[in-house]
Amino acid sequence: MGREPVAILAAGVITPVGADLESFWTSLVAGADGISSIERFPVGDLRVQRGGEIKTLPGADSRSPRGGRASRLLQAAADDLRTRFRLHVPSGRLAVVVGTALGGVEEGERALAGERVRGGAGGALYHMPAHALARHLGAHGPILTVGTACAAGATAMGVGADLLRDHRADLVIAGGYDALSRFVMRGFDALRSLTRDRVRPFDRRRSGLLLGEGAALVAMARDADAGPTRLGRLLGHSSASDGSHIAAPDPEGRGLEFALRQAMTEAQVSADEINLVSAHGTGTLLNDRIETVVLRRVLGQRALEVPVNSIKGSLGHTMGAAATLEAIMCLMAARHGMVPPTVGLEEVDPACGLDHVPGGARFHRSRVSVSTSLGFGGCNAALVLEGCP
Amino acid sequence: MRVTAAGLLTGWGTGVLALPADARRAGAGRRVMTIPRPSLTGDRFRRATRECLLGVAAVEAMLAESGVGRETLRGSGTALVYVTAAAYAASNRMFIDQAAGTGTLHFPYTAPSAVPAEVAIEFGLTGPYVIMLGDARTTVHALWQGATMLRHGACERVLVLAVETFAESADLFRGARWLVRSPLVETAVAVLGTPGHDHRDAGDMGIDERELAMVGRRVGETLACAPLIALALAHDGTSETRRVRMAGT
Repeated sequence: MGREPVAILAAGVITPVGADLESFWTSLVAGADGISSIERFPVGDLRVQRGGEIKTLPGADSRSPRGGRASRLLQAAADDLRTRFRLHVPSGRLAVVVGTALGGVEEGERALAGERVRGGAGGALYHMPAHALARHLGAHGPILTVGTACAAGATAMGVGADLLRDHRADLVIAGGYDALSRFVMRGFDALRSLTRDRVRPFDRRRSGLLLGEGAALVAMARDADAGPTRLGRLLGHSSASDGSHIAAPDPEGRGLEFALRQAMTEAQVSADEINLVSAHGTGTLLNDRIETVVLRRVLGQRALEVPVNSIKGSLGHTMGAAATLEAIMCLMAARHGMVPPTVGLEEVDPACGLDHVPGGARFHRSRVSVSTSLGFGGCNAALVLEGCP
Repeated sequence: MRVTAAGLLTGWGTGVLALPADARRAGAGRRVMTIPRPSLTGDRFRRATRECLLGVAAVEAMLAESGVGRETLRGSGTALVYVTAAAYAASNRMFIDQAAGTGTLHFPYTAPSAVPAEVAIEFGLTGPYVIMLGDARTTVHALWQGATMLRHGACERVLVLAVETFAESADLFRGARWLVRSPLVETAVAVLGTPGHDHRDAGDMGIDERELAMVGRRVGETLACAPLIALALAHDGTSETRRVRMAGT
């Protein structure tokens, strides 16, 4: 069943390759590498000690908000968004929906280490950064945190769209965030998911992912209420469960396929209308192969004709922020007529044969794009977006 | 949305009949009312945390109470909406406390998505999937989200599940009295919704602050579980099972 599209009016970001939307986009197009040695917390005992760490965070000298660094990331993205967009609705009609894999877990680490944490252990609850963001923005509408792991940034945009369609809010600030912490570095290190090489999405030599941190937010409104100035529209969304494994994706990609088909149905978009695919593309053996299979199955021949990229080679896997950053990339690609390259991809794995964008950015006029995401717990999500050239 | 089945496990016992009239009085000074680790068998549950097993057990209780078969839930026709405020705290703490590299807790179980993942695997749920993190007000939104998915034909039924555990992190909550009341009552509650109307609104099920306060006074602090307890109480008062049970006693 088709649903009313939702306008995406503006975006704001903070990432390892740029602390605002323009520098983020410029860096992606230039193929910048945001991976560096982690400096903010001890990693000497870990197998892999690199990631997409943001070295300078705006507002770092001010009083720590509840939720710690995670809240700071969100606030930095919100401040960037507000440099080009005014929150023009009454506070009670302004909603916040953000996705995360880790919330303010670092505050929990600090509390357990005996450090004084704002709000005590309650400040470490995963939904606290959303409330800190709402306070920062003066939002008194629904305040929601979505926890579909590394697909959460996409699910949050879908939930935000539903709030608008149901008139539960008139403006929604939606997106995702996550901060690098020793907690998550230890976890992925123990899983042996991190690579000692660079991140190489869809490459024959790919050997794992690297983590990154960041936040990304979009301002969304009902299409009929939005003026002509906009980044684009969210045409469709779906989040679906694999019901297969606690950590690994379903080997056949059934949950991702369901999400992608549902999102396209909601958007009333056929495979032939899609001009760009932003893949989850983590650079792990399993993810990239499964994603390729699903894209071929759902898009058919079109999967081989549409540019496919992954920005995780530039940023690392920014977890809860990833899907929203990738959605914003799709909209910027439509605006600028250019697709950023997949950094780290040099020799395409034959099992991942698609129309990849290795090397440098490609001039390409896109309008409708799809973005796919997967996460722990069998979480899958897909977005269908329409950009404004 | 019409509630067609509900399953409730709390630190007071199984089902709504185990709930006290006044939590503070029944708690008699105890800070946490704990649910023991469910004794689910199977190799897949070997690594699972207590909160994961509670999620599975709540759905099993729901099916047993209603007579709905597992095959009804299986497949992409059932959406899963999961809510918690803190059910990941125990596993997070365990993982943080472990020395690097020597952990016995599998890292993916620290994610809030671990509980619904185990439920999805156990019952074969492969449909729409939303996980929300927050307190009772978030669960009211989750109910609205479930009803929205039903209304737009994204699914045929929606399983709304909430789990809260406190035993392993009770000392941490002592520093968060601004957030929680006493006693903390561990809860796992599952509600099955289908298209249609019952005596409540179709949207967020008409749960208001007054009803949540009533649940709080009666049951204790259950964070995200409170709205589903309210629905379980209402469902119990109207269900065939309840009528049969009452007639039989």
